[in-house]
Amino acid sequence: MIEVFLAPAPWNDLPLFGEQVISGLATGSIYALLALAIVLIYRSTDVVNFAQGEMAMLVTFSMWSLTLAGFPPWTVIFIGIALGFALGAFVERTIIRPVEDKPPLNVVVVTLGLFVLLNSIATWIWAQGELPKVFPTPFGFTSVDVGLARVSTHSIGILVVALIVMSVLYLLFNHTKLGLGMRATAHNPGASRLMGINVGRMLMLGWGLAGAVGAVAGMLVAPITFLFPGFMLAVLLYAFAAAVFGGLDSPPGAIVGGLVVGVAENLFGTYTPGDIFGPEMKLPLTLLLLVIVLMFRPQGLFGHVETRRV
Amino acid sequence: MEMSIWLFLGLLVACSTGVRMQALGSLVQRAIVAGALAAGFLVFLALGVGVAAGLLGVLLAAVVANLLTGEYVPQRYRIALAVAVAVVFFLAAPWLLENFRLFQFSRIAIWVIVAVGLNILTGYNGQISLGHGAFVLIGAYTSAILMDDQQQLGFVDANAWPFWTTIIAAAVVCGIAGFALGIPALRLSGPYLAIATLALVISLPSILRKYDGLTGGAQGLFVKQPPPPPGLAGVLERDEWLYLLCVGVAIVMTLIAWGILRGPLGRAFVAVRDSEVAAAAMGINVARVKIAAFSISALYAGVAGALLTQLLGVVTPESVDLIVSINFLTAIVIGGLASLLGSVIGAFVLVLLPSVGPDVLDSVPLFPGDFARKAPGAIQGAVVILVVLLMPFGVAGSYHRLIATPPGRIIEAVRGVPAGIRARVARTKEDIVWAWEDSPFYRRASKSKAGEERDV
Repeated sequence: MIEVFLAPAPWNDLPLFGEQVISGLATGSIYALLALAIVLIYRSTDVVNFAQGEMAMLVTFSMWSLTLAGFPPWTVIFIGIALGFALGAFVERTIIRPVEDKPPLNVVVVTLGLFVLLNSIATWIWAQGELPKVFPTPFGFTSVDVGLARVSTHSIGILVVALIVMSVLYLLFNHTKLGLGMRATAHNPGASRLMGINVGRMLMLGWGLAGAVGAVAGMLVAPITFLFPGFMLAVLLYAFAAAVFGGLDSPPGAIVGGLVVGVAENLFGTYTPGDIFGPEMKLPLTLLLLVIVLMFRPQGLFGHVETRRV
Repeated sequence: MEMSIWLFLGLLVACSTGVRMQALGSLVQRAIVAGALAAGFLVFLALGVGVAAGLLGVLLAAVVANLLTGEYVPQRYRIALAVAVAVVFFLAAPWLLENFRLFQFSRIAIWVIVAVGLNILTGYNGQISLGHGAFVLIGAYTSAILMDDQQQLGFVDANAWPFWTTIIAAAVVCGIAGFALGIPALRLSGPYLAIATLALVISLPSILRKYDGLTGGAQGLFVKQPPPPPGLAGVLERDEWLYLLCVGVAIVMTLIAWGILRGPLGRAFVAVRDSEVAAAAMGINVARVKIAAFSISALYAGVAGALLTQLLGVVTPESVDLIVSINFLTAIVIGGLASLLGSVIGAFVLVLLPSVGPDVLDSVPLFPGDFARKAPGAIQGAVVILVVLLMPFGVAGSYHRLIATPPGRIIEAVRGVPAGIRARVARTKEDIVWAWEDSPFYRRASKSKAGEERDV
């Protein structure tokens, strides 16, 4: 028999398969969170925020410093989320607002500039000691049997946290007046302004929320990848893939996209012939999947087609 | 930096700017102003403030030249003069510059080629690409593989190709790759295209490492750098020859781009960018034009990649990484979209900013230059953001606006700056007050004001 799979075939080793799928779902929900942050911003301000990952990175590093200073874990987590929110709102207010009416490419370049700027600031402050730094997880890394497979408690923790964050966002957007205002602003800023919504504040709030969600993604992924100035880059790429996969303007799309990308990444890494592909090709293969999806649905799976007036 | 570079920059700026200065009185008056400025500059130089002094000198040269010749030399002569100064400087550079500076200038020449190509695609045709690094890498590898003589790779021709044929081959290969990528790009727009091209440049290094039989794997490929041609062997060293090669190719490629952009195809690029529907209505085949833009643009990147291989003598999967690839886009936005001059300025900024930036900050009193050295990207990021905020059409755009503005209006604008800042501060203060008054904390304190709408 030809050795097609690097690992035993799924039907021969179900626990391995289950493990791959569940840990894929766990990392996938991190991608989903960051993708959600990207989508939140894209929906409200039409900006693809390339600095999203670096904003989260800066916050995660700050949390690391706070932990080192002896703050208790939960305090650190709440401070981190608040910091993420503040950073997002600050960036919108000071850097994005002035370029809002400029050509879209300029805004893209501003977020790219922010990416480089934040990355260097983190390098300057935190990269003096040894890298990568270990980031604590409140969930621990013991593995638990969940029927089909053994997975680590951190993975389960990720899934739970992601679920909580998504539910909170859902409730916020669909069941509060504030959420209604934010959706209205995203849908039609001009009309919202006429209806008495403070559009500027909604945009700032949207960026703040995205910053907070990104910070959660950062603190969830840091225990796995460890902490160094570039640690969010890979996550950001997968999150972009997830956001584009689901459609840049669709929050449910971002979540589905994140989970699909996470699982696909793991399966491509495990079940592809090692001679031709293998684990080191999982990133290109996942991105190839993305490009193929885009060929058939250029607006992503759940995205809305923009009707153009002739 | 060396004196020669400052002289060159000063001359260039002096030759090319031509703001009419009628507002500033007679030639004698202007000569007095110019003299005072020059004296101030000399004092500054005597204090030994380094790069900042150089930059001031450049500005000063422009102001003095303007004061003295502003209304007497027409614009077209200025441009011709500036081009002449630039050509003479670049040809003389091997004898004027230190070795590492010469290497930097070779790199700038290569990045000019990429920037011109990317500007054709993004600036003139409106398609965003973050993935031009991938084409540069493909070009670099094409050249390196063809120049190998079975020392590192098994499947290649035992006779290494001469280097100039591999540049052409890299152009062809990348042109085809760009053509192949241009077809799927037709279906994608804006951010989707940006992310898809980003995916390309991220994937390529993994692919190059994986198929090491074809590419030499992670350690890359080494190349014998071409020696100077026989006739010039005694005159030029290899680095100098490579520099002249890069500059020569960059000039030729820029001229070709200039020709293309002035011709029917260039007009079609711009028409498609501004309105696909209108362009189609005028009988332009939109798909064909967009694919052509992608293909030409990739061809430029391929030529640059092949030159990069010659210059470095080695190519690895990390030769052109994600950051460099993203920097190509930031460079043309800084320099100026849809402007060849902008592409050139962008390439200069891209290479010189990381190396000169810290020196400039060092020479600013009270500023921690140490910060700039430890975090070189911080300057770059800050400059990118500032340029986009202050000059939405890039340096080239601002330059064109500046020389087209009558001096009276410039003086007016400068006088208006303090008032503008005051207004902005007042607005921000008001915003803060509103934010506070609308916040739940304030509402709890005084119910009467809640619900009152102030935002306009």
